[in-house]
Amino acid sequence: MSKATSGPAPDTDSGRAVLRTDGVTKRFGGLTAVDDVDIAIHSGEIIGLIGPNGAGKSTLFNCITGALTPDEGRVYLQGEDVTDWPEHKIARAGLGRMFQETRIFGDMTVRKNLLLAAQEGGADVSSLMRRPDSSLLARTDELLDYVDLGGLAETRAGRMSFGQQKLLEFAMELMSEPEILLMDEPAGGINPSMLGNLIDYIRNANEEQESTIFLIEHNMDFVMDIADRIYVLAHGERIAEGTPEEIQNDQRVLDAYLGRE
Amino acid sequence: MSTSDEESRGVLRSVLPPEQVDRFLSTCDAYGWQLLAISTLAAAALPLLGLEAGYRMTVFTEMFLFAILALSWDLVGGQTGYPSFGNMAFFGIGAYATAILTKDFALSFPVAFLLAGLLAVTFAAVIGVIVLRLRGHYFAIATLGVLLAAQQISRNLDITGGASGKILLQTPSGETFYYLFLGVLVVEMALVYYLSGTRFGFVLNAIRDDEEKATAMGFNTTYYKTAAWMLAGLFTGFAGAAYSLFNTFIDPQTAYNGAWNVELIAMALLGGSGTVAGPVLGAFGLHTIIEIVETYAVGWQLVLLGGAVIITVIGFPNGVVGTLSEYASQMDYYKHGGMAATDTDDGSEVSADE
Repeated sequence: MSKATSGPAPDTDSGRAVLRTDGVTKRFGGLTAVDDVDIAIHSGEIIGLIGPNGAGKSTLFNCITGALTPDEGRVYLQGEDVTDWPEHKIARAGLGRMFQETRIFGDMTVRKNLLLAAQEGGADVSSLMRRPDSSLLARTDELLDYVDLGGLAETRAGRMSFGQQKLLEFAMELMSEPEILLMDEPAGGINPSMLGNLIDYIRNANEEQESTIFLIEHNMDFVMDIADRIYVLAHGERIAEGTPEEIQNDQRVLDAYLGRE
Repeated sequence: MSTSDEESRGVLRSVLPPEQVDRFLSTCDAYGWQLLAISTLAAAALPLLGLEAGYRMTVFTEMFLFAILALSWDLVGGQTGYPSFGNMAFFGIGAYATAILTKDFALSFPVAFLLAGLLAVTFAAVIGVIVLRLRGHYFAIATLGVLLAAQQISRNLDITGGASGKILLQTPSGETFYYLFLGVLVVEMALVYYLSGTRFGFVLNAIRDDEEKATAMGFNTTYYKTAAWMLAGLFTGFAGAAYSLFNTFIDPQTAYNGAWNVELIAMALLGGSGTVAGPVLGAFGLHTIIEIVETYAVGWQLVLLGGAVIITVIGFPNGVVGTLSEYASQMDYYKHGGMAATDTDDGSEVSADE
């Protein structure tokens, strides 16, 4: 157990965190995939989560979103204990998620993908049975223009390129305006020029809409550039936490990446 | 717009330009309610214009019947992505319910009809909770199991008349059934068409495309797919409820007809699953073919049916309606430019935004 590094960060008031995990542990048989991890993310922050392959990053994400239930520890969203909630309820409480492999609804039009994201708020029958109104349609056009997918609204989403699908998935998150957005490798598999756009979009969302973002990333230039703070996982344990500069100069992080124990 | 020279390629494109198909489909889409109303009036007027009870009217009635079955199947199989091989269980329950209620309990047909629908929905709710946990092949096999079990139960019970079934002599006229099946079909088409434009419909499609993602977006998918399953159960149950009296006879083989279950899936796929018009047109088309074959090449209908299915699945994997709309929209994507092709433009557009 790495108690040495899991103390509360000096400038954080954990009661007001948008997202907080408290000693989250997840085991698969004899393997401890996530080991006693504490994390606190505050409104308006962009937080990176890095670590070597198999460090438990995606498993931690799954424990937070409710796709997996942690064996120990608690997960708090906006101060509320959501550890045992079903996944869809946590999502509705304001947690957005972008998957590692881009996931959009391929056989639906681009616009329907966005409309679906927009209306996830209420589950009452009257909102289910209504057709989307014109202000929502206008919002979809606005967002599509913003991510350079204007004119593709009626295209089947599955026809678009991988990068475009990634942008659509991001636009869907902008549409739903989650309290916190979890992104699993947003920079994975897209070309460098589009990556530049994506960085701009993420920054804009953060600055203008005050979106809080928690992202897993392997592209070090990208994550060092965009993140306010970074958590480092290795073998399921949180081995470091700090600003990009601190992380880059942390000996334990370097050791973990170079395979030294 | 710079892609106009590409359009000249291909004979099909010159004979049937995608733009025109696109225009035709968007017109159909824009005037969906009007189209439905006009078709309904036309179909309702046929008996007044001289269609008399008899062979022709029976064929039309059966076309409506199969359209109801195919559209119900498609609500779960096509829209939601849960291919059921057990829809005929709802049909059988509806069929036996009216048969028993009118014959043994002397209820009037309308009352029995409504009760049969209610019974089918209740059954769908109970079965749905169990089988909708499964996906893909497992779901298909489980639903087939439900159908076979239901058939066996009706064989074993006394009230259903056992293996010899029930003969029903006091039945309404052929015209009544013509209008009844037409009415159920129109109500179902209107409902499915309306739902496909609402969030409820979007969620069903989302479950088909990626159920995990839909859950991660905050949708309790169990709730949505059970609702769709119950709707399918209701309309299939209604179809069965009317069928037993229409057919004047019901036995386990007719009520829980596995071959029909395959046939109605074929109809939905041939017409274009996931659409409103597709399953209905598929049912009309395939049933017409089957009737023609039964008249002119007795004994070959199943062979031709199989052939038609194979050819369509290879040639039009999305069904007639699906293939048409894919064809119509194929140029859209290139017109508006894939990003990959216009990277430099995108760069300047983004910097212009900032």
